[in-house]
Amino acid sequence: MSGAPLSRKGVIAFDRQTKGLTGIVVKGFLLSLITFGIYRFWYITNLRRYFWSRTVVAGSPGEYTGRGKELFLGFLVALAILVPVYLVLFAISFAVPSLAALAGPISFIFLFFLGQYAVYRGRRYRASRTLWRGIRLSQDGSAITYVGLALGWWLLTIVTLGIAFPWMRASLERYRINHTLIGESRMASTATGGMIVKPWLLLYVVGLGPLLISVLAFLIANKFSIPSDMMIPDPHKPGQLIFNPVYAGTPLARYGTVVGIVSAIFIPLAVLLFPYYRARETRAFMNAAALGASRLHSSLRARQFYWPYIIYFLTLIGFFVVFAIVVGIAMVIVASGGGDGGTFSGMHWLILLLIVPLYLAMLLAFAVLAVRIITVRLWRAVTDSTTFENVEALDAVLASSRRTASGLNEGLADALDVGGAIEIGF
Amino acid sequence: MSPPPATIVATGTFFDGLSARPHPVTLRLGSRLEITGSGIREDWRLYDIRASETEPPTMRLALAGSPTRVEFTDEALSLGIEARCPDLRIDDEGRGGMLRLVLWSIAAGISVLLVAIYGVPAAAAIIAPLVPQEVETRFGAAVDGQVVSLLGDPPLCDGAAGKAVLDRLVTRMTEGAVLPGPLVVSVRRHTMANALTLPGARVIVLSDLIEKANTPDEFAGVLAHEIGHVAHRDPTQSVITAGGVSFLLSLILGDLTGSTVIVGVGQAAIAAGYSRNAERAADAYGVAMMLRAGGDGAALATILERIDKDAEKEGSPTGFLRSHPYTKERAATIRRLAGARRPDTGILSNEDWQALKGICSARTSKPGDAKPETPGK
Ligand SMILES: [Zn+2]
Repeated sequence: MSGAPLSRKGVIAFDRQTKGLTGIVVKGFLLSLITFGIYRFWYITNLRRYFWSRTVVAGSPGEYTGRGKELFLGFLVALAILVPVYLVLFAISFAVPSLAALAGPISFIFLFFLGQYAVYRGRRYRASRTLWRGIRLSQDGSAITYVGLALGWWLLTIVTLGIAFPWMRASLERYRINHTLIGESRMASTATGGMIVKPWLLLYVVGLGPLLISVLAFLIANKFSIPSDMMIPDPHKPGQLIFNPVYAGTPLARYGTVVGIVSAIFIPLAVLLFPYYRARETRAFMNAAALGASRLHSSLRARQFYWPYIIYFLTLIGFFVVFAIVVGIAMVIVASGGGDGGTFSGMHWLILLLIVPLYLAMLLAFAVLAVRIITVRLWRAVTDSTTFENVEALDAVLASSRRTASGLNEGLADALDVGGAIEIGF
Repeated sequence: MSPPPATIVATGTFFDGLSARPHPVTLRLGSRLEITGSGIREDWRLYDIRASETEPPTMRLALAGSPTRVEFTDEALSLGIEARCPDLRIDDEGRGGMLRLVLWSIAAGISVLLVAIYGVPAAAAIIAPLVPQEVETRFGAAVDGQVVSLLGDPPLCDGAAGKAVLDRLVTRMTEGAVLPGPLVVSVRRHTMANALTLPGARVIVLSDLIEKANTPDEFAGVLAHEIGHVAHRDPTQSVITAGGVSFLLSLILGDLTGSTVIVGVGQAAIAAGYSRNAERAADAYGVAMMLRAGGDGAALATILERIDKDAEKEGSPTGFLRSHPYTKERAATIRRLAGARRPDTGILSNEDWQALKGICSARTSKPGDAKPETPGK
């Protein structure tokens, strides 16, 4: 009886039964609710510890040693940095209204910088709290460089109308993987944009292409000048915009309609194609990653990324039907019981008291289902389709004496709400 | 341990914390845990053994404070370890730590809420008079633009004759009044019977209010009430309160992207009313102003009640739950303050009133599709 049976060597596997996971989610949801969300740091930690420990890599389960306390302290420090920044931004827009219009774009760019920074630092924290066979993972490299890289690639992606997107993804992936260490051994990625350009082009041509073409046609037909009064306030519904009837029958109206129809069809299509792209990208990037002489091999199929969502949405529909029936019955009871209308009777209050817990129970059920169906299945799709080639080389990994990253690294990510508890992929 | 515990023996895999190489070992659990293999001879005190989370039946043990690990799947051994190692699982959530955390979080959340509900308005009342007039004027201009776009960019009504009457009326009413900056009253075409006061001594009158007023005194009464808000700097105070409250709430909810703060300020300028005390004070100010200008002080009560009744007829929930009993009380107070009506009064001549009614030119909005709200704002 060995802890690492030969049959499991070279294989990455995730727990089949996921016993005890529902308990973590229920506890996390309820305690987060009554602690004004503060428990979420401990909840995230519990979830990670669970997922890491259920992922068995070459016979040995992973280990997450992060603490909720560390995340909470990191969050407080991030607040201490962000609060003055926001106060200054607020004071500037208050005192100098001419800058108020710029406050939106400025804070967007600022938040983008900070968000990318936080993503990289958060990954560093997670790596430093991850152990395998007693060997600690780590991440070096500079978050500032990563931000610069991300910014440059995003600009290029925007300028090329999205064509550069795969190369951006590959470049950032290479930076992340090449700065990830397991003990002393550095990982290496040979990811290139060319590997994922096909699935991206499919998404692009089918989903985004028609949209871009219709917008371009719209602009060309109108000689790139859109009248400022194209949309006017609806005289019947204050606060809503309608198309100015003055322009009916002009190219403005005709091409505008085309853009509307095209986006109604192709934006949902692009959303539907996105899991396919993600699956292909994950597979390509996994295949490009190596640790010394040991390579990762992924046989991930796109449909494995679709089933979790399909099952989840079917379950949601089921839940909504049940909820609607319960509410319907409640309405019937109210209609037959409380005849006096107008005032709130005891019956009304009773129903209200029943609806609120029912609503909370529904949210709780959704949280459980989202973790159990989407997160677990996506995670398992990635782990179970990945194997190690030349697994013996892993034994040569040596521990490192590097200092571990502090929990402050991830606080910013939480304060800015970037980076989830569980991220699928490396 | 009086009876010597039985020794449990099983095989497992040892990792020395220096490399990822697995070492097959034999584990022997007695009063200590012995781990032996080729070149490995470990002897762990039971107090120092920690278990980290794994999927049963796999168990992984560590020596406290060291990176060495031993993994095994023998159930008898894991039961023995569970029974004999007292500090096997120590974590944040054990030993009452979680209860303390929950209680402290609730206390912190409640204190932030209390600060938001009571502390921020009190602080705003102190800060508002300290805001320099020029800052407030500039800020008012910015809020004006934001509010107008939130209302759906209603067109400005500036019929020359009507505007002249309005300007004369405002000048007469504010004669001798101490206001923070020159009063700017604008009329916009909108199907809501309301008037809004913004920071920087700005009042926006929505045209349906003029439509719903039966007499010039009713309209002037509402205007005087709004000037009361201006004099007391209520809008500035309310904007500061809204900014502070949404900032605090976004702290609790952990959303610090600033979106809530910005949205909060805009909405406060439109939706949230002032406190009842502020309304009562503005009513009293308005009545006094009307009497001083030679108008009917009680007309404000009449139009308040009429618009409130319309709102109730439409069955709007705010009309039912909020303003109904409150309006009655307000109207009674206004009538008491106004005293008996002097017969010859009337704030505008008939021609002037007709000119003012025509300020939005020929195309006046139909009150039919209006959704009236109280002019309490
Ligand atoms: Zn008011």
